[in-house]
Amino acid sequence: MKIDHSLPLEYSTEENRLKILGFWIFLGAEIMLFGTLFASYFTLVDRIGSGPSGKEIFEITPVLIETIVLLTSSFTIGLGVHAMRIGRKKAMMSFFVITLLLGLVFLGVEIFEFIHYVHIGAGLQTSAFTAILLSTLGTHGLHVTFGLFWGLFILLQVKKRGLTPETANKSFIFSLYWHFLDVVWIFIFSFVYLKGMM
Amino acid sequence: MDFFDRFAIPHPSLAIYASMVAIVLTVIAIVVGLTYFKKWGYLWREWLTTVDHKRIGIMYLISALLMLFRGGVDALMMRAQLAVPENTLLDAQHYNEVFTTHGVVMILFMAMPFIMALMNFVVPLQIGARDVAFPRLNALSFWLFFFGAMLFNISFVVGGSPDAGWTSYFPLAGNEFSTSVGTNYYMIAIQIAGIGTLMTGINFITTILKMRAPGMTLMKMPMFTWSSLIANVIIVFAFPVLTVALAMGTLDRLFGTHFFTTNNGGMDMLWANLFWVWGHPEVYILILPAFGIYSEVISTFARRNLYGYKSMVASMVIISLLSFLVWVHHFFTMGQGALTNSIFSITTMAIAVPTGVKIFNWLFTLYKGKIEITTPMLYALLFIPLFTIGGVTGVMLGMSAADYQYHNTMFLVAHFHMVIIPGVVFAMLAGLTYYWPKMFGFMLNERIGKITAWTIGISTLVAFMPMFFTGLDGQARRMYTYSESTGFGPLNMVSFVGAIGLAIGFILLVYNVYYSIRYASRDISADPWDARTLEWATHSPVPEYNFAIVPHVKSEEALWDAKKKRHILFQGNYEKIHMPNNSGVPFIMGSIFFIWGFALVFSLWPLAIIATIGILACMAHRSMEIDHGRYISVKEIEETETKLRGAK
Amino acid sequence: MKELFPMKQILGFVFSLLLTVIALAVYFLDMSFSTGMTILLATAFIQAAVQLVVFMHAGETKDKGAIYTNVYYGVFIALATVFGTLLTMIWGYN
Ligand code: HEM
Ligand SMILES: [Cu+2]
Repeated sequence: MKIDHSLPLEYSTEENRLKILGFWIFLGAEIMLFGTLFASYFTLVDRIGSGPSGKEIFEITPVLIETIVLLTSSFTIGLGVHAMRIGRKKAMMSFFVITLLLGLVFLGVEIFEFIHYVHIGAGLQTSAFTAILLSTLGTHGLHVTFGLFWGLFILLQVKKRGLTPETANKSFIFSLYWHFLDVVWIFIFSFVYLKGMM
Repeated sequence: MDFFDRFAIPHPSLAIYASMVAIVLTVIAIVVGLTYFKKWGYLWREWLTTVDHKRIGIMYLISALLMLFRGGVDALMMRAQLAVPENTLLDAQHYNEVFTTHGVVMILFMAMPFIMALMNFVVPLQIGARDVAFPRLNALSFWLFFFGAMLFNISFVVGGSPDAGWTSYFPLAGNEFSTSVGTNYYMIAIQIAGIGTLMTGINFITTILKMRAPGMTLMKMPMFTWSSLIANVIIVFAFPVLTVALAMGTLDRLFGTHFFTTNNGGMDMLWANLFWVWGHPEVYILILPAFGIYSEVISTFARRNLYGYKSMVASMVIISLLSFLVWVHHFFTMGQGALTNSIFSITTMAIAVPTGVKIFNWLFTLYKGKIEITTPMLYALLFIPLFTIGGVTGVMLGMSAADYQYHNTMFLVAHFHMVIIPGVVFAMLAGLTYYWPKMFGFMLNERIGKITAWTIGISTLVAFMPMFFTGLDGQARRMYTYSESTGFGPLNMVSFVGAIGLAIGFILLVYNVYYSIRYASRDISADPWDARTLEWATHSPVPEYNFAIVPHVKSEEALWDAKKKRHILFQGNYEKIHMPNNSGVPFIMGSIFFIWGFALVFSLWPLAIIATIGILACMAHRSMEIDHGRYISVKEIEETETKLRGAK
Repeated sequence: MKELFPMKQILGFVFSLLLTVIALAVYFLDMSFSTGMTILLATAFIQAAVQLVVFMHAGETKDKGAIYTNVYYGVFIALATVFGTLLTMIWGYN
């Protein structure tokens, strides 16, 4: 394998560069996936049948917690990648751990929120609105859940194998994924919650 | 016993029982055959675990031909049923099932893999690469497609086929009106295959953008590679829409949500909308690679470079954007009002312009060319006039006011068959014939090939032209019969004759394969058609590393200029070549997806959970695995090269 | 310690918190629907751009062109899908 030392580790082999570009293209597909969910959400948002509307069920506190937590986690993973680039394995791992913990908090709040919705009669089967609401949030939440496991696996590998072209590449790609989830959340925050509570 | 009742066919018939027996017998025959000839190991090592783009291409090809057969039998049944008024060959329910599976199988499990077959086989060779960017992912794509297709096909004998049309409109496709598990199959099987397709899209874009031979700038890429690039771009942005729509449909059917229902706020029209947001780009995913094949074939056999290379590229880029802006033309009659319809009417007509540009480019290439009529060229020449009929009628349908008259009549059916058969199917047959020597090291018989092409060409006209007329007279699509007084009888009989002609064409194709395997000369050159692009610069059949030395490209038609202008393609000495290792994981993961899908279709939750864990376990395994691939040594390369050169 | 916290990233983070606060105005202040939507659209898209450039390093390699084209293409089609859907599912009927 040819390693190009003039580039950061995650870009240092041809295979690594392929993977990073490939992942960007995957994110392009993800844009469309969430775009479709948003299109459906806007179509169905007022179709509440006999169930509650967004204004009636949204609450600002959990949403704010989720937003701050996710924004911060996006920041910390950015720091993680930076630490990786200056070769600080320990620091990088700490930042990744913090990121995952913040992700866990996010997920906890979201699960709590879901239980609350179901409790107050806004379950998956209540109306078209609740179905698309929970599906949109749920798709994002599933991505985060998946990310937690993925991140954990990467951490284990960095710990065991150190910072190699492979592990650095995986970590960098994971950071792209995580930032992307943050971007999606911004849109959910703005156009599901804030618009709904306006 | 209750547990097993759900697997029974709700509306059985003799044909279904016969197929069950046939399927069981075939499976037994295959198992016995493999065991008797001790081929299990060979099958596993050389095919099921392969990550070689050429072999994956060939597997796509075989699947596509099998599915062409399945879809073709459906078609024959439909045309036979409609051949005379008030026929009773099929009842209404069976007719519904047959037109549904015909549509799904032909578009998603025949046309798509056919395109994938040619893309997989040809693109890396055309750009001088050793494989695709992510060979393992490529294998996974194939197996997801394959097991998705298998899952869809077993619906015929286990639980019942879907019957709500290939478009599966709600509320018809909802639980209330589609009570069997058929539509579950639709939702889940297509989902699995669709995920595979999406991954192919990512894989090929990366491959084409990053793995071209030195010197091959974007504007020096062969036209088929260009068309594949654009088609894959459309795949990447269109398939997620299908993923979401199918997931919502699945939730409606399995978990009682109200996305597309008619109560609790559900909106059935949203399904139609999402389906076509994907559906229209999908038709361009099919047609663009087909256009690419025609471009290669026409310039090879007109012995000229392609006229208007830049305008060809530009028109495809424009098509890729426009294809996302026209979807509403599939439901002009749904009631969204004149303004909306007008907007989409205009975009629809606009998309005919770049398509027309391409037709003229081919005509100009032919003009002043030294045309040699081989089988692939014959398909291309038949394509131009026939496709034009389909395209022009498309523009007619695109006028929203007029479409109120044509919509959901046989006129529409005639339109899309006249674009898809000459456009896509002819191109695939042309591509198959053209690339056959590269794939297998011998050529298909030209005489039989030409007879096949003429048979299929004429039969297409005979089968589908009458539908334009009965459609204008008011014959609706998807009706299982009609009364004598409508007067549709004679023209439908003509259609039936055409359908038989198409079936004969298919048989001739299969016969040609058989005949050529037995009699064709194995002593052919690497470049039997005197072609122009890189894939013909390596041996036939192609060694696993594609090119012993990476080619250096200086022009658009690399091989032609190497032949005529003495450009030097291969410089330097052999070096060891890095290749990916085979892996059984994609196959295993595909099989688990099959089980997962089956479990969801029948709501077998414990099984579904176990399968989900299995899928995640495969991913975890992949994450932890260390696999640096392997090297082919210089000595091995030398040996292979001498051997292949000797055989020529 | 200091080299672990580059200025660019810290500024990016502060900026994104700021954008969040601005977006929150639509909740805490009283304003018309269209003003609110304008604010939300602006903050959301700027926020996305910050993530893309500062945190995701979209422009740091030779593949910059491909990456940006990919993102713009995706955003364009996603917007077309959203607005086209609204047109055909809701606005077209009014
Ligand atoms: C010249 C460009 C084309 C135009 C203007 C056009 C226009 C249309 C319109 C307006 C419809 C809907 C009519 C209705 O439902 O009443 C339609 C249906 C269809 N078109 Fe085209 N089309 C074009 C090219 C193609 C191509 C190249 C393909 C495939 C390779 C294709 C495949 C289809 C299919 C499959 C349907 C029907 C789907 C269904 O309802 O089951 N079209 N076309
Ligand atoms: Cu269309």
